[in-house]
Parts: sequence; structure tokens; C-alpha cells
Amino acid sequence: MRVTQRSIALTSLQGLNRNQEAVAKLQQQLTSGRSISKPSDDPTGTNAAMQTRQEIAGAKQYARNISDGMSQLDATDSALQSMVTQLHRVRALTLQGANAGAMSDASRAAISTEVAGIRDSLLALANTTVQGQPIFGGVTSGPTAYDPTTGTYQGVGGAAGASFPVTRQVSDTDSVRIDVTGPEAFGESTSTSRDLFQLVGDIADHAVSDPGSLAGDLDGLDEALDRLLGAASDIGTRTNRMETAQQVNSDLQLTLTSRSADIENVDLAKTIMYLNMQQTSYEAALSATAKVIQPTLADFLR
Amino acid sequence: MSTFSGLNTATTALWAQQRGLDVSGQNIANVNTVGYSRQRAELQSISGTPVPAMYATSSQVGQGVDADKVIRIRDAFLESRAQAESATSARLTVAQETLAQIEQAFREPGDTGIQAKMTAVYTAWSDVANHPTEDGARTAVLQKTATLVAELHTTSANLDEQWTQTRDSLDVLAQDVNAKASSIADLNTAIKRATLSGQPVNELSDKRDVLVLELSAAIGAASSPGENGQVDVVVGGATLISGGSAMGLQVVGTRKPGEAAPGNPSFVTAPGGTPLTLGGTAGAKLTALSDTIPGYQASLDQVAQQVAAEFNEAQATGVDKNGAVGAAMFDDGAGGAAITAANLNLRIKDTDLLAAAALTTQGQPTSDNTNAKATAALQTKSDGAVVGYRKLIVSLGVEAAVATSSLATQAVVSSQVDASRESVSGVNLDEEMTNMLQFQHAYSAAARLITTIDETLDVLINRTGRVGL
Repeated sequence: MRVTQRSIALTSLQGLNRNQEAVAKLQQQLTSGRSISKPSDDPTGTNAAMQTRQEIAGAKQYARNISDGMSQLDATDSALQSMVTQLHRVRALTLQGANAGAMSDASRAAISTEVAGIRDSLLALANTTVQGQPIFGGVTSGPTAYDPTTGTYQGVGGAAGASFPVTRQVSDTDSVRIDVTGPEAFGESTSTSRDLFQLVGDIADHAVSDPGSLAGDLDGLDEALDRLLGAASDIGTRTNRMETAQQVNSDLQLTLTSRSADIENVDLAKTIMYLNMQQTSYEAALSATAKVIQPTLADFLR
Repeated sequence: MSTFSGLNTATTALWAQQRGLDVSGQNIANVNTVGYSRQRAELQSISGTPVPAMYATSSQVGQGVDADKVIRIRDAFLESRAQAESATSARLTVAQETLAQIEQAFREPGDTGIQAKMTAVYTAWSDVANHPTEDGARTAVLQKTATLVAELHTTSANLDEQWTQTRDSLDVLAQDVNAKASSIADLNTAIKRATLSGQPVNELSDKRDVLVLELSAAIGAASSPGENGQVDVVVGGATLISGGSAMGLQVVGTRKPGEAAPGNPSFVTAPGGTPLTLGGTAGAKLTALSDTIPGYQASLDQVAQQVAAEFNEAQATGVDKNGAVGAAMFDDGAGGAAITAANLNLRIKDTDLLAAAALTTQGQPTSDNTNAKATAALQTKSDGAVVGYRKLIVSLGVEAAVATSSLATQAVVSSQVDASRESVSGVNLDEEMTNMLQFQHAYSAAARLITTIDETLDVLINRTGRVGL
């Protein structure tokens, strides 16, 4: 093939351009830290990157859901525990009151007053709210689960279980119920049964007016305690589930983040090495060009 | 054979070598001129009288050298390949640039594109699921949704703008093509005249061939040799330039991105209005206008429709804060359902109207989160808007990657053809130097021949017949 000065110059220019382009590409990857800056850099990688980004956002959201659910479960648990403690006191007082003739009216009145006080405090605990939402009220939109004076249930959902359970999505597939409705934890007031607050109210009344029926109330109290403890252990189980979900979630986030980095971020060592190689070949091309383009026959003819 | 014919022969030699040097000079002068084809003085020996006159004696020696003709050295086959390859290169370059620009409009993968904004909406719904009655969480949903809508509008407007710019550039392209075509026709006329009167046409032809090559890149034109050194230029089956007459081109068709369709806009002949199928830059721009950009615009519209349908359906399966069944979230800005990415409109302005509760709670305001959870879970739906959008981006990526690699391949092919052309018609300085030496020596030798003949004649004229003087 016949070679001319112009063709050498053109070829050299093309080669230099190509080299420079490669250097620029590597430099752009290094400075941005990303190996995919537009879809055409790696269509498959783009798909994976977008999917991973979405999954990371989802996992972060699940983590938020979990910690939000945990805070409500913890609030419920501590409310239930303190109610159990107070019920033990009510039980002791009821036993004391049931000890028939040995007590003065004044002592009975004192017991009655204390039990009535405990009832108010139990009601207040039952109206505990987390971020404005009463935790024992189911999906009620009202401010309280129980009427603070009458103790009537105002929430949504009965003892048989909530028709609208309050749940938190903790993963793509799993959601955990985080509430316990008032009737579930404290029983239901019907014609045949009394809920916790009515029972404790009755005890306060009976201590003065009808000490004889306190023995029957005691049975009711034991039942209520069992129910409360059952609810508390239920909450404990769900807290455990949440904790497991939290563990799984943080593992998932780690995996996803490192996967995302694998896909989108540059491999520094590799890229820097490529850059060095490319620079070497660029310099070689430059020096070769300088040597080839300069001389002509004119340099050697006199 | 006359006594002095030797002198004559030497004179033709002097003149021919002189001409050879002149041509070398021209070649060296144009070593860097784009489109210049190296020239060569065609040296031809002049034979003796083929049919001698009666009684004449022919010595069978020639009469010297003739250097009348100076030719361009070029390969017509390579030139026509160069035209085809430069048309392909131009077409692929524009196709690649179009897709690269579309990629910029979408800005994926990243934190600023449509996907990030979609994810933000679903995340906001998830926050509503955590606190269904909280106005803060509900406001966040509306704001994130408004941001998503704005992003869809922006991306759609970017595509429209790209369309408009490309459309405007066609007019400029048509003007440029018309100017070049008439220049080629003028040069054709000049070449014809010069050829007929025996003038050299090498430089004129080079100039014209450069223009033809540019026309190939612009509209995919091909040339075929005509009479008297002229060329005819054909594009898409129609003759654009025939000898000294050129036909014009003009762009007709819509100036609105929404009305683009195959064949609209298009190039037609002016006058005549016959539609032309063009290649090169013009062809690629027409493809971008009628196919590529509208295609991605339609895909984006589909994503907008999917988003609207998804959220509208989700709203309809839930109950808002007031206990009423959720109202549709999106419309087309005029209350209708003819939704595109450009007119997608967030109807709901009141945070209470977001349907977070289950449909069964209808009539009774609750803090149920069933529907909010279901809405947030839409992002993992296998045929949801998120997946639809991702498919769009991946297919864009694939198409752009294919365009980039075809362009790279074409660049190699083009550079090979260019190198072949350059290797035939380019000027090599070393060669010219060598030619100069050859001509110089030949010139010296011819001059020496004259001296020698002069000396022999001197002997004949001045010293012969003077024996004894």
C-alpha cells in the first residue's frame, strides 16, 4: 500500500484521538466514581442498578416501618406491664376487703378510694397514645380508646380480634400486627361479663357496699390478670418477630448496598491500572507520531 | 531525419522535464489540501514518421517526448465507496447523537431521574401507612407526587425540545444542500467548457468531487460520471444534478412534535414536490423525527398513563380520611383520561382525600392503613409503572449502546476507505522529491544533449572542409 504524509498524519491523529478518548472515559469514571453514567454504558447493569436502587429504598422504608412498629409495641408492653403491677395491688386490696368482719368502715372506705384511684390510673394507661393514636383503640380516629370517666370502649375492634388490625409492612412479603385492641387485653362489657375497668369499679363499690360479692370479683380479677398477661406475652412474641425482621432487614440493606456498589461504582484499583496503561500507550503514540511525522527526504538531500 | 532534429528532440525533452517539475511543484504545494488528487504529467514518446514521404528515408528514431497531458490520479471505485461510507457514517453519527441526547433527558441511573421520584412517592405512601391520620405524612405524599408529575413534564418537554431543534436543523440542512447542488452544477458547466476547449480541469474536478462527497454525507447522494468530465448526482432514485442543472430540495410537513409520523416531515423536490428517500444526515434526522423521538415520547406517555391508572385504581379501592371512597388522583388536566406525560395532572390538593383506609370502613372515618399499605406495595408489582419505566430505560440503553458500537465499527470502515483513497490519490513528499531528482537529472541530460549536438554541428559547420587551411 502506498503511504503518504497526509495518510500518516490522519492515522496518527485518529490513533491519538482514540487514545485520548479512552483516557477521558477512564478519567470520567474515576472522578465520578461511577462506572455507569448513562444507560448505554451497560444496559444490563443499568437494569440491575435501577432494581437495586429501588430495593434499597424499599429496605430503608421497611427499616423505618419496623422501628415505628417497635416503638408502639414497646409502649403497649410497658402499659400492659404497669397495668399488671397495679392489678396485683387491686387483688391484694380485694383480698383484704373480703376478710369480712375484721375491718372498720373507715378501712373499707380507704380500700374503696384506693381501688377507685387505681381504676382511674388503669383507664389513663389504657388511653396511652403514640403520636396521637390511642394504642388500645384499634383503628379509631378518635383521641381516646376508653371514655376517661365512664370507661366505655370507644375504639374499633372487639375481643374476637380486630377486623382492621394495625399492621406494619416489615418486608416485601411479611407484615406484623402491632396493636392489641382494648377488648382483647381488658375484656368486654356485656350482659354476662365485665371488662377490667367495670370490674375494678365494681370492686371499689363492693368494698364499701357489698363486701360479700368481693370473692366473686376476685375470680373475675384473676381472669382479667390472665387475659392481660396473655396480651403482654402476645406483644412480646410480636416484638421478637420485629427484632428478627430488623436483623434480616439490616443484613439485606448491607447486601443491597454492596451489590449496588458492585454494579455502579468503579473498581478503583482496576480503573487506575487501566488509566496508567492507557496513559503509557498514549505517550507511546505521541512519541511515535513525533518521530514519524517529522522527517522527509528533504532532510537527507542536499 | 533532418540535421537539426536532434536539437528539436532535446527541446521537447527540456520542455517535458520542466513540465514534470511544475507538476511536482503543484503536488507539493497541495500536499495538505483536502480533496486534492495528485497529478502526473503523462510523458509520451513521439514516434518517427509512421508513413514516410516518397523517397524519404526514415531513421526509425522518435521525435522526442510529449508532455501535454496532466492527469489526476484517483480510483473511481474508491471514490464511490467513499460516498456510500460517508453517507452511512453521517447517518449513524446522527442516530447515535439522537439517542445520547434522549439518554440525557432521562438522567438514569441516578438520584435525580423519574425512578428516584417514583420511589419517593411509594415511600411517602408507606409513611402514611405508618401514621394514616397524620397530616404531615399525607402532605408528603402530595408533594412527592407533584414532584414526580413535574419530572414527567420536564422529561417530556426535553424530548419535545429535542424534536423541535432537530426539525429546525432540517431547514438549514436543505439550504446547505441546495447551495452545494448549485455549486456542483456550476462547476460541471465550467468543466464541460474547459474540457471542450482542451483546458486542464483537474483542480475544478477536485473541487467538485469534494462537494459531491459532502452532499453524500448530507443526504446520501451518489454520483455517476457524465459526458465531458461532468458528473450526475442521484439521490433516492431521483436525479438531483444532471450536468449543469440542479434541482432543489425542501422540507415539508409538520412543525409540531405531536403530529410527527413516518413521512411527515419529509424532503421533497422543489419544484415538483416529489417525495425523496434520503440517507446520510438528512435521513437519520428524519428517522429521529418520525420514529426515535416520538417512540420514546410514547413510551414515556405510557409510563405516565401507568402511574395514573395505578394510583387512580388504588384510590378507588380505599376510603379517605372523611370516610368517603377515594377520588381519582390524576387526570389529563381537563378532567379527562387522555393522559400523556406532558398533561398528567395531580387532581387532589387536599391531604384528607388520600385513601389510606380499607374500602370496608366506608362511611366511618378510621385510622386504618390497609389501602395505604397496598398503595405503597405497588412498587413491587411485577407489571407496575416502576417496572414499565425500567423497561423503557433498559431498551433505550440497549438501543443507544448498539448505535454507539455500530458507529465505532463504521468509523473503522470509513477510515479504511479514506486510507485507501489517500493511498491512491494522496501526495507523498518523498515520491515528489524523487521525481524532482529524476526530472532534474533528465533536464541536465537534455541540456547536455544540446551542448553535444552543438559541438557536433560546430565540427560540421566550422571545421569541416578546411583541410590544409
